[in-house]
Amino acid sequence: MRRWRHFTVVGCFVLACLAIVGRVGYLNFTQRDFLQQQGDARSIRSETVPAYRGLVFDRYGEPLAVSTPVVAVWMDPSRNSLGEADVRHLAALLDLDADRLQAELAASAHREFLYLRRRVSLELAGSVRALGLNGVYFQNEYRRYYPAGETTAHVVGMTGVDDAGLEGVELSFDEVLRGQSGRKVVLKDRRGDTVKDLEFVSAPRFGSDLRLSLDLRLQFLAYRELKAAVAGHRAASGSLVMLDVATGEILALVNQPSYNPNDFTPGDTAGMRNRAVTDIYEPGSTVKPFTVLAALESGDFAADSAIDTSPGYFSVGSKLVQDPADRGVLTLEQTLQKSSQVGIAKVALALQDRAVFDVLVRAGMGSYMGTGLPGEAVAAINDAGLGDPVVRTTLAYGYGLALSPLQLAHAYLTLASGGLRRPLSLLRQEMPPDSTRVFPAALAREVIAMMETVTADTGTAPKARVPGYRVAGKTGTARKVGSDGYDDERHVALFAGLAPVSAPRLVVVVVINEPQGQLRGGGEVAAPVFARVVARSMRLLGVKPDGPGDAA
Amino acid sequence: MKVVHVIAFGLLFLGVVVSGVQVSYYSQRVRDLHGQLQAVQMHQDAQLAEHSRLLLERSVETSYQNIERIAQADLAMVFPEHVEHLEP
Repeated sequence: MRRWRHFTVVGCFVLACLAIVGRVGYLNFTQRDFLQQQGDARSIRSETVPAYRGLVFDRYGEPLAVSTPVVAVWMDPSRNSLGEADVRHLAALLDLDADRLQAELAASAHREFLYLRRRVSLELAGSVRALGLNGVYFQNEYRRYYPAGETTAHVVGMTGVDDAGLEGVELSFDEVLRGQSGRKVVLKDRRGDTVKDLEFVSAPRFGSDLRLSLDLRLQFLAYRELKAAVAGHRAASGSLVMLDVATGEILALVNQPSYNPNDFTPGDTAGMRNRAVTDIYEPGSTVKPFTVLAALESGDFAADSAIDTSPGYFSVGSKLVQDPADRGVLTLEQTLQKSSQVGIAKVALALQDRAVFDVLVRAGMGSYMGTGLPGEAVAAINDAGLGDPVVRTTLAYGYGLALSPLQLAHAYLTLASGGLRRPLSLLRQEMPPDSTRVFPAALAREVIAMMETVTADTGTAPKARVPGYRVAGKTGTARKVGSDGYDDERHVALFAGLAPVSAPRLVVVVVINEPQGQLRGGGEVAAPVFARVVARSMRLLGVKPDGPGDAA
Repeated sequence: MKVVHVIAFGLLFLGVVVSGVQVSYYSQRVRDLHGQLQAVQMHQDAQLAEHSRLLLERSVETSYQNIERIAQADLAMVFPEHVEHLEP
């Protein structure tokens, strides 16, 4: 009697054991990976260790974008065990509203992650940590500061909360700047606290620093003068580009309106546009020096060739080309100096069909400049219709093609460098880049000499004169295209120039878009900005004076 | 049991003991090193924060605006409108 009870119990135990062993064996064979994963998923976490983003400097090492370590403080609301006093403490430290925090924690009780505050300084995070609150966690991150703020906003750009580049250099050189975040595997307990670091999979690699070609001093000067001019003329926008003639480096590139990358309000798209690079305008008369160059190249014209512009207008096909007044017989130089439409049109018609177009293309128009800035616009210029005299004349005085201010500056660089075309660069160059000769040096110099007369009292831009230095340039006042053809009320005022004439160092292009005041022309609106910026820049760069000390 | 067996067993036993001690030694060492790494990383973060703070401070001090303000307001300097170049 007793024996069978004993064996029954033992038998049941053995069966139960066998069943368990069998089940374990079965699971081990069939679902091992899945179960292992699930187990790890509940305790092992892989965490990224953020990498320090490289800094951006100007050409002399002034910081333009700096990262600093900060901390994101977060909570798991589903395991909130904080008392009311704790929440008040926390809210006071993090500068949050205690009642709202309490409500927010209650409202997101079903969630497991809630940022309390991001980008908290290390000191503040230390004080929060010292409270020793359960369920409050810290995550290292970096915040980006832009010391020059809106002055360099368009070039440097900015990063988003996740430290990735969104605009400007931050975007186009993101690969270089961002480094590589590291990863580590940690073991967590039930409450989510890290118990142990299991493994460092990879250490974070710092991003590389970037040295731009910008000169922050010149950039600031340019920004201040442009801002004052845009505000003074109640213009819609404006841009200024300054290039180093010897290296093709961009020394200053500013736009109005701008934005503050340190305190960015989303939706400010007008302020964010890097107009000097992305917006294209018809360059108007600023193209005329290239027409003159084409004329000189043809051999049929010299600086003193006479061109009869009376009676101040003439028709090309169905189009009437006119000057504001009858200027009589002008030399080629005077045609440029006074910016005579009739004179330039007559010159253009005397040249071969493709002559002006070829010069413009050799000056770099229509080719990609490769500065690396996001949204770089390529000039809109094409050779369709060059057989038509109307197309040829309009091209000669700057209509029917469209350029960004940067592209116009690039074209002027070929004149300033004595006929050499160089690539532009936004990064500091250790040595001058390879150049291609596109115009004979003597002709480029001759055109510059003619452009110098533009700043004489009888020229269109005496206000571009800089005391102590000889400057050359060309004004432009282009009508904008409205819904039905050219709009007589909306203009773009341009001035493109170089200084000093004896040995050009700088090319500066100023574009003021839709000035609203009494003065609308390039000589009145854009030239003074050129003069003020160049005057200060020459002193800052220590350029030897080469001209008389009087201003306009 | 032969003597060979005894020696083999002894060696195995010794191996087990030695490797056991090594395992515990190295896990302790990993823990120590990890502690050091953590401390060094925190130090690095603090230094980076300090460095960026100083960079920003320097850039404010040396900014063109600031220098111009000091020159004009504190030192009563004026921007020269006329330039003369004197050959030495």
